[in-house]
Amino acid sequence: MAESLNADYVVIGSGLIGSLTAMKLAQAGASVLILEAGPRYSRDQIVANFRNSPRRSDWMSPYPFSPWAPHPVYKPEDNGYLIQAGPYPYPAEYIRMVGGTTWHWAAHAWRNVPNDHRIHTLYGVGVDWPVSYDELEPFYQEAEEIMGVSGADNTGSPRKKPFPMEPVAEPYAMRRIRERLDPAYKVVTNTTARNSRPYDGRPACVGNNSCQPICPVDAQFNGGRAVAKAEAAGVKLVPNANVYKLESDAKGRVVAALYYDPNKGTHRVTGKTFIVAANGIESPRLLLLSSSDKFPKGLANARDMVGRHLMDHPSTSLTFDADEDVWLGRGPQSPSSINTMRDGDFRKEHAPYRLDFTNISRVDGATTALIAAGVYGAEFKRRLRYSAARELNVKTVLEVLPHPENRITLSAQKDGMGIPKPEAHYFIDEYTHKGAIRALDDFRRIAELMGGTNLRYTRDGEYANNQHICGTLSMGNDPATSVVDKWGRAHDHENLYMVGTGVIPTAGTCNSTENGLALALHTVHHILGGQSGGSASVQS
Amino acid sequence: MHESARQPDPSLPSTRRRRLLAGFVGAYTATLVPWALAQPVKNGQHGAFLALSAIIAGRQSLDAGMAERIFKGLSAEQPGFADAAAALLKLVDERKIDPMHLQQTLDDEKSPLAPLPRKIATAWLLGVIGSGANARVVAYEHALNAQFVADVLKPPTYAYGPYGSWTRKPL
Repeated sequence: MAESLNADYVVIGSGLIGSLTAMKLAQAGASVLILEAGPRYSRDQIVANFRNSPRRSDWMSPYPFSPWAPHPVYKPEDNGYLIQAGPYPYPAEYIRMVGGTTWHWAAHAWRNVPNDHRIHTLYGVGVDWPVSYDELEPFYQEAEEIMGVSGADNTGSPRKKPFPMEPVAEPYAMRRIRERLDPAYKVVTNTTARNSRPYDGRPACVGNNSCQPICPVDAQFNGGRAVAKAEAAGVKLVPNANVYKLESDAKGRVVAALYYDPNKGTHRVTGKTFIVAANGIESPRLLLLSSSDKFPKGLANARDMVGRHLMDHPSTSLTFDADEDVWLGRGPQSPSSINTMRDGDFRKEHAPYRLDFTNISRVDGATTALIAAGVYGAEFKRRLRYSAARELNVKTVLEVLPHPENRITLSAQKDGMGIPKPEAHYFIDEYTHKGAIRALDDFRRIAELMGGTNLRYTRDGEYANNQHICGTLSMGNDPATSVVDKWGRAHDHENLYMVGTGVIPTAGTCNSTENGLALALHTVHHILGGQSGGSASVQS
Repeated sequence: MHESARQPDPSLPSTRRRRLLAGFVGAYTATLVPWALAQPVKNGQHGAFLALSAIIAGRQSLDAGMAERIFKGLSAEQPGFADAAAALLKLVDERKIDPMHLQQTLDDEKSPLAPLPRKIATAWLLGVIGSGANARVVAYEHALNAQFVADVLKPPTYAYGPYGSWTRKPL
């Protein structure tokens, strides 16, 4: 076994949150090492892959798959990596590659609404956060300044300082939706990590309409930019380093991370403090894999809490044809939403939700549908233009409550490296389902106000997943029901921290990255307040 | 290229004109693709493929380079593709099948030719040949679905225009 690297802080996972955590620690003078399971890949390669992909609607298709660092792939066939224990399918998507999964995201960077932190106290559901909105507010601001967030002030999340940027210019289609839904619904411009002007060396959006799977100009922040910022701060990143175990000593301190290189050579990395940042599935998997005589259930898992409280944001949707031409596909993909159902006394009864309007081009989808229907000849072009101009889609982003039965465990099956695969146990409860039923009234009203015809609802009980994997490393004050404390530190391991969306206690209705990043910056604040920085370079 | 630019060139010598698509289609199909008749073809099989492509895609002017790539690609994917395309064109001509009824007719009759129109349509309109793990791209920004809306939309990953240009009414 090769033992070659040592650092003050060893971060496992180079996604947006892990990389920016590493950046902050390095900026404070510490030596920081990131171990990333997947390879390094450039933006330009991803753009080229997308254009050459026969499955352009499959946003995983442009991304590399590495046998030594597998991730779930569902098309053209399920690779069986994420085992589905049911009862409801949880086909999570994520990317194991330098920069992680926010290479493809819509860059939604929402803050919670303040009551999201107290849903147990206020509504008798879920749990309260151990960190209040007010405590988190400065870290939201910091997250927004690092990522470059643009947004409007009327979305229900109070702030002490202005957004770094004005809201991104509203596409014509969204303007028409806003105008026609007013005053029944207030349609607002989304809060996004997307530039409305040049910011931090990156240009303003130029409307490539491919935010997912890849922004070709870096007008939206992503994991790749986060890695670049970390490396500029002095962080050393090792790609193709698949950490399969954390070693701990008799006192419960983590002493080393063991990783496989692509040839399954084993390497041992030592450090003073370890930060697990490998996403809401791979992080609990690693902790569960790190069992020992002293910790037979894995690290941080003395009370069997690791992997539990898995949450995401299920979506139902309505697609319809408006009575005027709006032409989705001009400008960014996900620009506008309705935020009025994010909070209220109804949360005692059913899930809150946001209503998101898509601005994704309908051209490929309509083409596929027309070919399937056997529409050929001159009629094809006429119908394609009609669908591309008229089709609209609105979806719910529903809260899922934290249930211990919803969880990630280790499967009996092993991946190509001989490591147990992750297994998802997931169900969607009545609370969420009732929220989806309630939203049908909104769908109907929205279609009516837009003169909608040809209404196509998702089937009752059928939910699309939003890949906002969270909750598996729950943050809480009570070690009996959580994995980490309010600072992101494992209850039983003084030098083991976790950052990422896994620590989020309740999913609320906001896409999880900004919440995860704000909590990570809160963790960094604690670490740096409690420890002095170490040497400025990684020893090897 | 504008469709009218594909009209037969009366200045071409008669030997050249015999190798235009017009020489390889029947009376009915000629009425479906009148302007495409001027397209040069290599032989009867290629001519049948081109005529069928024009009928299915609803496009009178087809890019010669793309036609070559699609013909080769579909031929490689399906042995006997060229003969099947010729047989389908003959069927359309003899029975005077409207393009809008073509797929339904073949499906209803459980014709062995039924998969053919969708393959040709997918190649021209979506730029994809084959399916599943064997699918591959022959065109993206030049796929006809992108061309059909090019006056309003750019294919995803191509910049729409300067910041904020998308706020304007499209047409």
